[in-house]
Amino acid sequence: MRVVTPVYGIVARDLGRSLRQKGRLFGGLARSFMWLLLVGTGYNAITRIEGAASYQAFVYPGIVVMAALFGAMLTAISTVYDREFGMLRLMLACPAGTMAVLTGRALSATLVGIVQGGAVLLCGPLLLDLTAGQLAAAAAVLAVAAASSSLLGLLVAAPLRSVENFAAVVNVVLFPLLFVSGALYPTARMPLWLRGAARLNPVTYQVDLMRVALGLPGELGVVPSLLTLAITSLVVFGLAAWLFDPEHRFIRRGAP
Amino acid sequence: MSAPRPAIEAAGLGRDYGSTRALESLDLLVARGALVGLLGPNGAGKTTTMLLLATLLRPSRGTARVFGHDLVADRSAIRRCLGLVFQEPCIDGLLTVEENLLFAARLAELPKRDALKAVDDALERTRLVERASQLGRQLSGGWRRLADIARATVHRPALLILDEPTVGLDPEHRDRMWTLLDDERRARGTTIVFSTHYLTEAEACDYVVLLARGALVADGNPAALKATVGNDVAEIEGPDAARLLESARGAGAVRTVVRTERGYRIGMSGPREPLTALAAALPGVSRFAFRPPTLEDVYFERTRRDA
Repeated sequence: MRVVTPVYGIVARDLGRSLRQKGRLFGGLARSFMWLLLVGTGYNAITRIEGAASYQAFVYPGIVVMAALFGAMLTAISTVYDREFGMLRLMLACPAGTMAVLTGRALSATLVGIVQGGAVLLCGPLLLDLTAGQLAAAAAVLAVAAASSSLLGLLVAAPLRSVENFAAVVNVVLFPLLFVSGALYPTARMPLWLRGAARLNPVTYQVDLMRVALGLPGELGVVPSLLTLAITSLVVFGLAAWLFDPEHRFIRRGAP
Repeated sequence: MSAPRPAIEAAGLGRDYGSTRALESLDLLVARGALVGLLGPNGAGKTTTMLLLATLLRPSRGTARVFGHDLVADRSAIRRCLGLVFQEPCIDGLLTVEENLLFAARLAELPKRDALKAVDDALERTRLVERASQLGRQLSGGWRRLADIARATVHRPALLILDEPTVGLDPEHRDRMWTLLDDERRARGTTIVFSTHYLTEAEACDYVVLLARGALVADGNPAALKATVGNDVAEIEGPDAARLLESARGAGAVRTVVRTERGYRIGMSGPREPLTALAAALPGVSRFAFRPPTLEDVYFERTRRDA
């Protein structure tokens, strides 16, 4: 199992880098708590959601998923920094090859997503009446959501050539994924076209699973959601592997 | 017992990017332990050649073997005996030098104990012990490059491929880098293939490959290549430089001619005296000097002649 060593090396490197970027780490946590406390409290006063004690209680599963989504996706998308500074080419030239590199990057991004989502999840008992079983189920869903988001992040990073596009990606990819997921408002009340878009969005299924795990009513069903996430993750991983293959990159970009 | 396979054997190796033919057809035979310089102007195909040999690209045509392993079918085997240095040092600024080396050792699939030992050895070898706990971003450009060499050699590869490794280095760090690479060759018999625009660096090579517009225009050891220019190079400048060249041609002493901004560089065969006498008779020759041929003469003669 020689391939385990480079995968472990990539995970150790990424986590080491994340720990040294404390601003980014705390910024990620602050983002989630700001949504929960500031936006959640504000909307509590003006919004009532059917089946939820308060808007804050409704939005809480979505914020857990959001924390994992941003943590995992941004870590995965930071692959573009590695590309810009030549580290990616070095990694892709390792004996284990592209799949090992992507696996390592996906694992480290997943772990970052779990840590950021986990910090929000730990505050769950302050907002909801949760059993230990529900918390355990939510932790499992968090892992699934972080893994799925990390793969989406790799797919987004694959065509990016420069870190200058990074901020645009957050606005054009991450926020729409969040807004069209039912994390902040129920998809049932969306216009038809937006509901259709939500059904195509993997984050919708992550949020729905998280709601069910935390004892709130879901819309999509556990098995269909898990299946959808499994299938999209496989497809996304395959696509990312194809796009990250240096051969494919040079065909698209021309001579080095 | 059969003799070990050469480090690199390429036959008709070529690569296209869409309709652009980046590398025409390269035949190459590199002995184990050789120091090989890839020379040529920008866009000559040097980087493409190195990316092909590093298995980061697949050839569009031809075949190649690295230590007997097929370039397409045995990519993992080739990568295990390969160390790569790119134009920009691949040192992670957020990791310490030691962590960077450990990362490289793990990428090379070294087991934990071997990896730790390899990192210690590399730090010792490259005299980076005192900087082991410094973050990559705290290193100067020169030390980053040395850390990069330590990174590329941490797993003691049998083949090192370096793409313009001395760009931007001051003479002191350039010298240190070449000393490290020389030590690596002497101690381990490492084969080194590098590209450079500093032609003096290629003088020490066992074998030089000169590319232009994706095609091989000359190859051989530096002495043999320089001999193709002639036994002397005459540098002539001034309004009468063209007349002097014509006279020299008439005397049959001219082997190669390169036009420069202010005159000509003439590769000469035969004695110097006839040309010296001709130059003395032409008042419009402002500069006239003989010197031994260099790889730069070969470079200009071959790359411009085929332009």
